[in-house]
Amino acid sequence: MASGDALQGASGPDDVLVAEGLVRRFGDLTAVDGVSFRIRRGETYGLLGPNGAGKTTTISMVAGLIAADAGTVTVAGQRMGPAEVEPKRHIGLVPQDLAIYPELTARENLTLFGRLQGLAGAALTQRVQEVIELIGLTERAKDLSKEFSGGMKRRLNIGIGLLHQPTLLILDEPTVGVDPQSRNQILESVERLSVEGMAVLYTTHYMEEAERLCDRIGIIDSGRLQAEGTRDELVRLTSGADVIRLVGTGDTAAASTALRGLPTVQQVIADRHALQLTVNDAPAAVAQIVTSATAAGMSLADVEITRPDLESVFLHLTGKALRD
Amino acid sequence: MRELWTMTRYDLRQRIRDRSVIIFAIIVPLALMFVLDLVLGDLTDPELQPTAVAAAAPAGDPLAAALVDVVRALDGAEGLDITVRTAAADEVHALTRDGTVQVGLIVPAGFGAALQQGRATEVTLVSGGGTGIEQSIVVSVVRSAVDRFSAAALAAAAGAEAGLPPADLAVIGQEVATAQSTIGFTEGVASNEQLSSTGALVAGQAGLFLLFTVGFGVTALVTEREQGTLARLKSMPMPAWTIVTAKALVSFILGIVATTVLLSVGGWFFDVSFGSPPAVAVLIVAAVTAATSLMFVIARVARTSEQANIAQSIIALVLGIAGGAFFQITAGGWVGSVLDLNPVSAFIRGLGVTSGGGGITDLGTPLLTMAGFTALVLVAARLIPDRGAVR
Repeated sequence: MASGDALQGASGPDDVLVAEGLVRRFGDLTAVDGVSFRIRRGETYGLLGPNGAGKTTTISMVAGLIAADAGTVTVAGQRMGPAEVEPKRHIGLVPQDLAIYPELTARENLTLFGRLQGLAGAALTQRVQEVIELIGLTERAKDLSKEFSGGMKRRLNIGIGLLHQPTLLILDEPTVGVDPQSRNQILESVERLSVEGMAVLYTTHYMEEAERLCDRIGIIDSGRLQAEGTRDELVRLTSGADVIRLVGTGDTAAASTALRGLPTVQQVIADRHALQLTVNDAPAAVAQIVTSATAAGMSLADVEITRPDLESVFLHLTGKALRD
Repeated sequence: MRELWTMTRYDLRQRIRDRSVIIFAIIVPLALMFVLDLVLGDLTDPELQPTAVAAAAPAGDPLAAALVDVVRALDGAEGLDITVRTAAADEVHALTRDGTVQVGLIVPAGFGAALQQGRATEVTLVSGGGTGIEQSIVVSVVRSAVDRFSAAALAAAAGAEAGLPPADLAVIGQEVATAQSTIGFTEGVASNEQLSSTGALVAGQAGLFLLFTVGFGVTALVTEREQGTLARLKSMPMPAWTIVTAKALVSFILGIVATTVLLSVGGWFFDVSFGSPPAVAVLIVAAVTAATSLMFVIARVARTSEQANIAQSIIALVLGIAGGAFFQITAGGWVGSVLDLNPVSAFIRGLGVTSGGGGITDLGTPLLTMAGFTALVLVAARLIPDRGAVR
């Protein structure tokens, strides 16, 4: 696990993206302040942070849309910048906005961007057809994209980024404003890409998406990478303990005494109708806890398990909720 | 170049599907030409009405008869329809009062003798109802003729005082009365730079709407910034300049097509010839280039497509009106110099040259004006900060 200020370890052959000490200012505002991270082949890296945290500005520098005031971006071993052409062949950008042309059909949108990515001839035609099938728009390929539903537009937006099979796919909040069904389709697509070996940089302010998709997560706030690591590594930044809440009637005092004697239980807080237990591994311990509480004379009405999540981590690191 | 052409081709396809470019670049200006021609046509190109003149001239007075003949000779000249009827002096007022004639001319008895002797005499012109331009023409011509006769008579009188023989006096009088003016007026060809009122209307509207048409490129650029496609284009493996150049190329092509259609259709409908097609083509290219250059300024100033539309409309209307898209504006001093830098006025002036028979070599001033405008605007675009830069 690394803090965001400096990269740990040397750049390796599997590194698809290396961002080092990125700084970007807009007037007096420092939107990105010393952000460093790397993504390896086949890895999905999430940038998790609230709106205005600096995610899109970071992505803009990674994709070569804007220049960094300080720091470097290296994609597939090549230095990235607004004036660079070659490293851009390795990236597929899926902007947060629906970056498609409403007056073009789905097929025309894909063909246009495919040509701009350097595809041509039979290879272009074949790849366009593959992507149309992948994003589930076969029946609507000849329709103008302005006639599509929001979810279909989102899928087309992602399909364009995938068209040339980039080494690094950059997705900037791809599920914003999407219905649950389309959202699930998008998440499944990203999971599949990762399995196929594509490196993915995924920004989101949805904790669940980051937890589900990302091998490693960078938590960003106020332009700084507060921490990064796997989900479990980040969770360990907090106390790392789970909470089990037992709700019921009967002899809660006896139950409390009995539970304190269990080795997995760190702490028990009792009130009239409930016991709150701090444990190391709730799923493993819950059966023994329920048995002991019942044996001690407590009649259980509800058992609730709360595990620390990225929301807790964000709160721990920044002192504010993720959706503030 | 491949990317440039790809973007241009797909952008044009969208503009055509959108149809707004066809409506605003071709249909609206053509409709406006017809409306303005109906509204302004009578003011700028009046149709002369038939005019009857009652003339009373003393019998046996050759100068009086000559004066009436001058009026009679107006019939058929420059579209005039003048009918002269002879009347007694006391009938002339009645005829003009009851509307039988529009102008009355009373040449007094002794008119010729008075002129020959250098004495004062008085020709009476009676104006009937209305204030038509035809009456003004008749009055003006009679006044001019009387002045010339007077000059001849005075010359003869001066000769008599100098002791010239009567035969010579008659010759002098005749020569003065019939002498050609020492000031020559030659109708210009390539140098007059004047279009007919209808031609100026067609050219003006084409120039005005050209400024709107090229705006489709800048609007597209700003819209792409808003909808995110600009960010995606910037992430493509191609030089950044190809994106803006593609938009400018779209504006340029739309401008060329729309202006050519407007001049061709407008010229055909209103029976206006703009002269040499190659010269007109050069003018169109120069005007479209100048108009397209404005796109670069607006693209840097406007953050949203709404702002781009407003900025484009303001610039188009100011340049169009100042350039004479509706009325020819004449101004001197520095104001006139500034107005002369306007690409719309240069375009209209250039079409005046070509319609008068001028060729490409006669278009130096309009072409230089438009080239200078383009250069100035492009320099300004480089200096203005980009307010809509991607964050």
